Amino acid sequence: MEKRTPNFVIKVDGLVKRYGDRVALNGVSFSVREGEIFGLLGPNGAGKTTLISILATLLPPDEGQVLICGYDLRREADRIRPLIGFVPQELALYPTLSAWDNLAFFGRIYGLRGTALQERITTVLDLVGLRDRAGDAVRTFSGGMKRRLNIAAGLIHGPRLLLLDEPTVGVDPQSRNFIFEHIERLRAEGMTILYTTHYMEEAEQLCDRVAIMDEGRILALDTPKGLIGLLGGGVIHMEVAAEHMEDLLSAVRALPHVRAASSRDRQLKIETRAARPALLELIELCNARDIPILSLEVLEPNLESVFLHLTGKRLRD
Amino acid sequence: MLNQIIAFTWKDLKIFFKDPGAVALIFLQPFMFIVVMSYALGGLFEPGKDPIRILVVNQDMGTQAATIIRQLDEMEAFQVETAWEGQPLTREMAEKLILQGKRNLALVFPPDFSEVLAQDPGATPRRRTRIWVIVDPATSSPFVEPILGTLQGLIERSTYTAMMPKGLDYLFTQLAPQVPPEQREAFKARAQEAMSGGLLGGEEPVVALERTAPPGMRVEKLPNTFQQNVPGYTIYGVFWIVSLLAGSVLQEKREGTFRRLLAAPMSRAVMLTGKLLPYYLINLIQIAIMLGASSWLFGLSLGRSPLALLAVSLAAAAAATGLGVLVAAIVRTEAQAGGLTVLLLLTMSALGGCFVPRFVMPDWLQTLGLLTPHAWALDAYQDLLVRGYGLQEVWPKVGALTAFAAAFFGLGVWRFRFD
Repeated sequence: MEKRTPNFVIKVDGLVKRYGDRVALNGVSFSVREGEIFGLLGPNGAGKTTLISILATLLPPDEGQVLICGYDLRREADRIRPLIGFVPQELALYPTLSAWDNLAFFGRIYGLRGTALQERITTVLDLVGLRDRAGDAVRTFSGGMKRRLNIAAGLIHGPRLLLLDEPTVGVDPQSRNFIFEHIERLRAEGMTILYTTHYMEEAEQLCDRVAIMDEGRILALDTPKGLIGLLGGGVIHMEVAAEHMEDLLSAVRALPHVRAASSRDRQLKIETRAARPALLELIELCNARDIPILSLEVLEPNLESVFLHLTGKRLRD
Repeated sequence: MLNQIIAFTWKDLKIFFKDPGAVALIFLQPFMFIVVMSYALGGLFEPGKDPIRILVVNQDMGTQAATIIRQLDEMEAFQVETAWEGQPLTREMAEKLILQGKRNLALVFPPDFSEVLAQDPGATPRRRTRIWVIVDPATSSPFVEPILGTLQGLIERSTYTAMMPKGLDYLFTQLAPQVPPEQREAFKARAQEAMSGGLLGGEEPVVALERTAPPGMRVEKLPNTFQQNVPGYTIYGVFWIVSLLAGSVLQEKREGTFRRLLAAPMSRAVMLTGKLLPYYLINLIQIAIMLGASSWLFGLSLGRSPLALLAVSLAAAAAATGLGVLVAAIVRTEAQAGGLTVLLLLTMSALGGCFVPRFVMPDWLQTLGLLTPHAWALDAYQDLLVRGYGLQEVWPKVGALTAFAAAFFGLGVWRFRFD
C-alpha cells in the first residue's frame, strides 16, 4: 500500500488556499524527509492550522500539489488517511469515557480488532505514561494528561506520519517537558512528525528543520541553527533623533562588529557579528559624536528574533 | 464500514448511559409525566372556552327527544349538531364523521323514544328503549363521562315529566283513598321509587344509555387515563432525543472529535450513520420501556397487532431522530440548541395532542397539528392501543411518519456540517 518515496514523506508545491477573498496560504512549498521532525513556526493566523488541515485531508487545496507518502492528496486521500495520525489542537476526546474506551473507539475506526487492538492500546498508553489511569474517565485527568492522551489517540493505528497541531497549548511546563520526551521517543523510533507551534523554544528544541510562516507564506526554512545564523551575532535596535540618522548610519556600517545596518524613521536596525562588542562600539560612537540614544534593544540570536527580523512582528503579537 | 458504524454506535451508547441527566430526560421524564398526569387529571373535567360538539341523531317520532336535545344545546359546555353540511344527520353519517376523526361523540335517539316514555304505566310487558352513545374509543374518559352524566340527568328529568302524572293517576286508581294505612305506605314507597327514576317499581330504567363505538373500531378495553396518556407522553418523550442528538453533535464539533475522525479512513456517510444509529436505538428502547412498563404496572393494553406496534414505533423513532439531525444541522451553539429544542418540542407536542386531545382544539389548530409528526404518531398509537386497529388501518400513518422522517433527514443531511 505504501508508495516508494524514500526521500520525502511530505512534498508540497505551490499550495494556495483561499477563504473567500482572504488568502490563507499563498504559494507554500516545502518537503519533509522520512524520520524528520519538521516544525511550522508562526503566530496565530499565519496559516499553520490551514496547512496542517490540508495535510490531514480535512480541507481541499485551491492550487498546488501535495504528495503524502507519494500519494496525491487530491486524488488519493483514501490511501493517505490510514498512513497519517492527526492530533488536532483541541482535546479531541470523549471526556465521559475512560482513556481505554477512547483509544478503543479510535482504534476500531482504523480497523483494529481484538488482541491487536488491546496490544496497541497498551503500547500507546505506555508510551504516554497513562497505563495506570487507563480505566479512569478522561474528565478526571489533568490538562497535561489529556494532552498526552490526545497524542496517544493519534498514534493508535501506528501511523507513518504524525501531524501535531499545537500539542502543548495550555499545559504547564512539566507536562510540556513530558510531551517533548514522548516526541523524542517517537523520533527515535523513526516516525516522521510535522509539528506546528507558536512557541519558538519548542521549535528550537524539537525540530530538525523549521519553516517560519507569516500571512500564508513561508518566510524562511532551515535548521534552527541555520535560521538563527541569519541574524549573525544578534540584532540591535537603536532609536536616535532623526537629524542624526544619515550621519550615524554610515559610521555604524563601518564598525568592525557590525554586519549590516538599515534605518527607518528614528530606528536603526543593526545586524551584528557579535552583539556584545558591537553594542560597546555603538555606545562609544554615539558618545564621541554627542548623539543621545533614545532607546536601545538587543535581540539575542534565537528564532523569536529571527521572526522579528523577518517580519517586524513578534511571534506572540 | 459496518465495524466503524458499530464502533460509533457502541461509543455513543456508552456515553449516553454514563450520563444520568440524559437517561433521566429520555426515560424518566415521560414516565413521570404519564404517572403524575394520569393520577392528577384522572377525574378532572374542565370545559374549555369552546363548547364540546356533540352530534345528535334524532329518530324519535315524538317530542321527548327534541326537548332533551334542546336542553342539552342550551348548556354552555355543549354545542349540539343535528345536521352536517345542510343535511339532517343520520346514524351512518354520524358514525362516518367519528371514523374520519372529525367528531368524537354522537347520540342517537331511537324512533320509539317518546312512545316508550308515554306508554301506559300498567302495560305488560313494559317496553324499554336505549339511546346510543357512539364514542371514538380514543376519546379520553374525563371528557366523555361528564357528557354521559349530564345526558342521564336530562333523560331522568324528561322521564319524570312525561311519566309521573300518568303514574300517579294509575296509582290512585289502583290504591283508593279508603285503603288501609299499610297500603298507603306501599303507595308512598312506590311513588318515591318512581321519583328516583325507576318508575313503577322497575329496577331497570325504561331508557338506558348504551355506549358503543362506530363499526370497524374495536374497543380493546374501556380506555382509562393511562390508556389515554401513555401514547401521548411516550411520543412527547421520544422527540426529546432531538435535544440529546443535537447536543452530542455540537459537542463532537466543539471538542474537535469530528475533525479528528474526518482525518480517519471513514466516509462522511458512515460517520453520520454511526452518529444517528445509537440515538435511533435509544428511541426504540425508550418506546419499549414506556409501553412495557405501562402494560406491566398499569395494565395498559398493547392492542392486537405487535407487528403494527413495531412499524409505528420504527417510523416514530425515525421521525424523531430525523428531526434531531435537522436541529443539529441548523444550530451553531448549545444555547441555540437548547432554546430551539424546547420551543420546537413543546409546541409540536402541544399541537400534536400529546398534552390535550386535539378534538377539543379549534378546527384550524387541529389542521395545524397535522403538520407535526406527533399528531400522526399519537393517532397511530391510539389506533393500536385504544381503538384496536391493526397494521392495515395504521399503514397510512406509518407512511406519514416515514415521510416526516425522510424530509427531516434529507434537509438535515443537506445542511449538515461536520466542522
